[in-house]
Amino acid sequence: MSLVISNIEKQYKILATGTVINALNGISVTLRKGQTLGIVGESGCGKSTLARVVSGLEKPTIGTVTWANEKIKDKAKNHWRPHHSKVQLVFQDPYSSLNPRQQLGESIAEALRVHKLVTKDKIETRVDELLSIVGLTPDLKHRYPPQLSGGQRQRVSIARALASEPELLILDEPVSALDVSVRAEVMNLLIDLRSKFGLTYIFISHDLGMIRYISDVIAVMYLGKIVEYGNWEQIIERPMHPYTQALIAAMPDHSIIGNPETLAKTLQGEVPDPANLPTGCAFHVRCSIAVGACSERVPVLLEMSPEHLVACPEVKS
Amino acid sequence: MSQLKPLLLVENLGISTVQDPRTLINDVTFEIHAGEAVGVVGESGSGKTLTSLSILGLLPRGVAVTAGSVNYNGMNLTTASPQQIRELRGSAISMVYQDPMTALNPVMKIGKQLLEVIESHEKLDANSDQRVRDALKEVGIPDVARAMQSYPHEFSGGMRQRVMIAMALLLSPKLLIADEPTTALDVTIQQQILSLVAEQRQKRNMSMLWITHDLGVVANLVDRLIVMYAGRIVESGTVKEIFTNPQHPYTAGLLSSLPTTADKSRKRLTSIAGVPQKPWLVGQSCAFAPRCFKVQPECRTQIPHLVGNLEKSVACFHPMGAL
Amino acid sequence: MRRKDKIVKGGLHYYLQSTSGIIGAILLLFMVVASLCAAFGWLPHNPLDQNVDEVLKGPSGKYWFGTDQFGRDIFSRTFDGMRRSLTISIVAVSIATLVGVTLGILGGYLGKWFDLLITRLSDAVFAFPAILLALAIVSSLGNSWVDTALSIAIVYTPIFIRVARGPVLTAKEMDYIKVSRILGYSSPRILIKHILPNVTAPIVVQIALSLSWAILTESGLSFLGLGTQPPDASLGLMVADAQSLAAFAWWTLAFPSLFITIVVVGLNLVGDGLRDAMDPARRNS
Repeated sequence: MSLVISNIEKQYKILATGTVINALNGISVTLRKGQTLGIVGESGCGKSTLARVVSGLEKPTIGTVTWANEKIKDKAKNHWRPHHSKVQLVFQDPYSSLNPRQQLGESIAEALRVHKLVTKDKIETRVDELLSIVGLTPDLKHRYPPQLSGGQRQRVSIARALASEPELLILDEPVSALDVSVRAEVMNLLIDLRSKFGLTYIFISHDLGMIRYISDVIAVMYLGKIVEYGNWEQIIERPMHPYTQALIAAMPDHSIIGNPETLAKTLQGEVPDPANLPTGCAFHVRCSIAVGACSERVPVLLEMSPEHLVACPEVKS
Repeated sequence: MSQLKPLLLVENLGISTVQDPRTLINDVTFEIHAGEAVGVVGESGSGKTLTSLSILGLLPRGVAVTAGSVNYNGMNLTTASPQQIRELRGSAISMVYQDPMTALNPVMKIGKQLLEVIESHEKLDANSDQRVRDALKEVGIPDVARAMQSYPHEFSGGMRQRVMIAMALLLSPKLLIADEPTTALDVTIQQQILSLVAEQRQKRNMSMLWITHDLGVVANLVDRLIVMYAGRIVESGTVKEIFTNPQHPYTAGLLSSLPTTADKSRKRLTSIAGVPQKPWLVGQSCAFAPRCFKVQPECRTQIPHLVGNLEKSVACFHPMGAL
Repeated sequence: MRRKDKIVKGGLHYYLQSTSGIIGAILLLFMVVASLCAAFGWLPHNPLDQNVDEVLKGPSGKYWFGTDQFGRDIFSRTFDGMRRSLTISIVAVSIATLVGVTLGILGGYLGKWFDLLITRLSDAVFAFPAILLALAIVSSLGNSWVDTALSIAIVYTPIFIRVARGPVLTAKEMDYIKVSRILGYSSPRILIKHILPNVTAPIVVQIALSLSWAILTESGLSFLGLGTQPPDASLGLMVADAQSLAAFAWWTLAFPSLFITIVVVGLNLVGDGLRDAMDPARRNS
C-alpha cells in the first residue's frame, strides 16, 4: 500500500464559544499506487478536511498519514527552506488558487525553480511542455489569471501541481466550479494524465456521476466517518449502506425523465451539527432502517463481500 | 394546449448593457401555459438568469430590455408602469432565488417577513397570522410557532429555502420563477426541495419557470425545456424530446458529456472543445459554430433562428436528425 | 517585462482619470517645490531675520504675506514652516510605515501569540486620541524635531499595523497561498512574493492619508508649544503665535492656516486618487 491513512481524527475548537467540531472521526483507508480513491459525501462530511490533512496542510488531532512509508510533511508549520513533496493538491476554485498578480508561466516556473527540478536554461521549455501536457498553448504563459476562463485556470493549476513531479494528486472538487460543457474535458484530461504519469489520485466530489466515472475504489463519508467502502461497481451498483443508497437515489440523473415520483424517494431530515453529533450511529436520526440499538452502538466497517466494507450492523450481505 | 392563450409570452426579447451596448440576450421567444412547468437550462453567461429577471422588471442596474416584449395574461410587462409590476410581484408572479440568505432580511423575524408579503398586497386581518403558519407548515417547517420567531441565520440552507418557497407561495401565485434554488444545497436536501416544489405545483396547478445549469435537476420536474447558449435559445421542446432526441449539437454534446449512473460502462466522456462565447462577440453567425463538430460554412455567416413548435424547436442549420 | 511597464502605466492612467487625484497631485507638486525652495534658501527673506522697523505690516510688494510681531517675513516663514512640517511628517510616517507594515505582516502571517501581542499593543495605543498620546510621548522625549517625529511615528504605527495585517489575513486564506505551502515553498518566499503584493495598494494610500494627519498632529504639537521651538518656523507654531494678533493683523493667522489646509487637503486628495487608481474593482467598472 502506498497511501496509508490510519485512524485520523480532526477536531476544531471554536475559541469564542468553546465548542468542539468533530470534522473527522476516525478515518482509516489505504490506497495502492496508480489507483484512484473517490471520496463522496455532502457538505460537512469532512471530505475537504481529509484532503487538507492528507496534503499536510493541516495536522490531524490523532492519527497518521504516510505516502510510500514516509510521513507527510507538516505544512501548517512555517518552513524557512523549501521542502519538496510528492503529494500535491488541486483546489476547487480556479479563481482563488492562482496568484492574480503572477503570470501563469511564472506560477509554473516558480515550482521548478524553487525545487531545482530542471536546470535554469530548461525552465522555459519545461513550462511550455507542461502547458501543452494540460492542453494549453504556450503563448498563454504571459497572461494573468483574470484573463483566462475557469477551465483554462484549472488546467494551469493542474500543470503547476505536475511541475513539482508529484506521485499522489489530491483533487478536491476539481470540476465542480466549471461550466457543465467544459467539465468533461477536464475529467478526460485527468484520466489521461493518470495513465501517462502513473499518478495516484484522491478524487473528492459531491457528484457521484464524476466519482463513478474516475474512481477505482470509492469511500462514502458521512459526518466525519467512512460509512461504506468498496470498488466503484460495488458502491454504485450494489450500495448497501442506507446513506449510500439515498445518495445515489438523490443524484440528479437525466437517464430517468418525466417521472416526478422519483423525486419523492428522498432522505428525510438534514445533516446534524458536527459540534453535537448524535450518539451511536450518527446517521440513525435520518435512517430508514434504524432500530433502537442504533442510537447506542457505534458501527464499525465490516466486510460484507470481498473488499466491500459497510458500517451498518443492520445490513445483511 | 397551444390553442389556449399562454399565461406568459416572451417575444423576441433582447437585453443589453446600457453603456457601450453589449448584447446579452437576443431574440428570445417562449411561452408558458397555465399549469405548465418550463425549465431553462444554460451555462453561466447563457442569459438564463437575465431572462428570468426581466419578467418582473428586476434587471440589475446598467442592463435594460432593448427589444421585444414580455406579456403576462395579456399585459405587456415591458411597458407596464412600475406600480402595475409591483402589484404582480409576489402575488401573481413570485420568485425563489439561489441564495436564500441574501434574499431574506437577516434582521427580521421569519414570521414578520411573511406577514409583510401579505401586507404589501392586501390588508392584514385576524386570519393573516394563521395563513403564514399554514404556509410554513405546508413547506415542511417543523415547529412553526418557533420558526415564526426565528431569524434567517438560525435556519440551515435547506430550511431557509423552504421558508423562501413558503413566502413565494403565500399569495397563491399563478407563476413561480425559480432561479437555481437548489444549486447551493446538498443532493439529498436538493431532492427534498425538488419533491416539495413538484408536489405544490401539482396541488395548486401553478405554472413554473425553473432556471438551472443542471440538466439532471429538471429531468423529472418540468414539462418542457428551453436550452440557452450565448444569449439565445438554441433548442426547446418537451423533456422527453430534449433528453431522448436532442437536435442541437450543443444539447446533444451536453447530454453526452454528463456521466450518468445508468451508464454501466465507463467509456470516455464526450466533451465539447473550447469555451462558451460572449453573446456580444458572436456577430453574424451561430454562437456555437466554433465548438460544433457539425459546423458548415453557412454556420459562420448566418444566424440560425429557432424553428419548430411547442413540442420541438431548434435553431440549427444542421441538426442532429432522427435517431 | 514589457507587460509590467504596461501595468504601471495603466496605474498612472487610472490615477489621472480622477479629478481629485489631479488636483491633489498639483497641490503636492506645489508643496514639494515650495519646500525645496525653503530648503535651498530661495526665499525673499531669511525666515529668522527680525526687523523692528517693520513689525506687523500688512501684505505688500516687499512682504507678500506681511510681517509678524517681530517684523519677520510671513511668506518666508510659511514656506519654511511647511518645509519643516513636511520633513517631520515624512520622517514620522516613514518610521511608522516601516515598523507598522513589518509588524502587521508578521503578525498576520505568523499568527498565534505574536499576532495577539501585536494587536493588543496597537489596540492599547489606539485607545488614546492621537494628539493626546503624541503630547504625552513628546513631553517625555524632548523638543527636538527628531523627538517630535518619533512621537508622531509611535502614534501612527498601529494604523499601519492594522492596514497591513488585514490583507495578509485575507491572502493567507486564499487557495494560492495554500498551494504554495503544499508546493513546499519557504515561508519567506510565500511572504515576500505572494502575500506582500496584496499589501502595497492599501499601504500606499495609507501613507498619503497619514502624511496629512501627521502634518495636523505636528501643527497641533507646535501650537501647544511642544513641537518646533521658536524662533524656528512651523505652521502650527505660527498659528499659535497669531492667536492674539489676528484681531488686528489677520494676515498673521490667515496665511499659515491656509497652508495647513492646502497641505492636508492636497494629501487627502492624492490618497483618494491613489485609492481609486489601485482598486482593481473600480478599475474594471
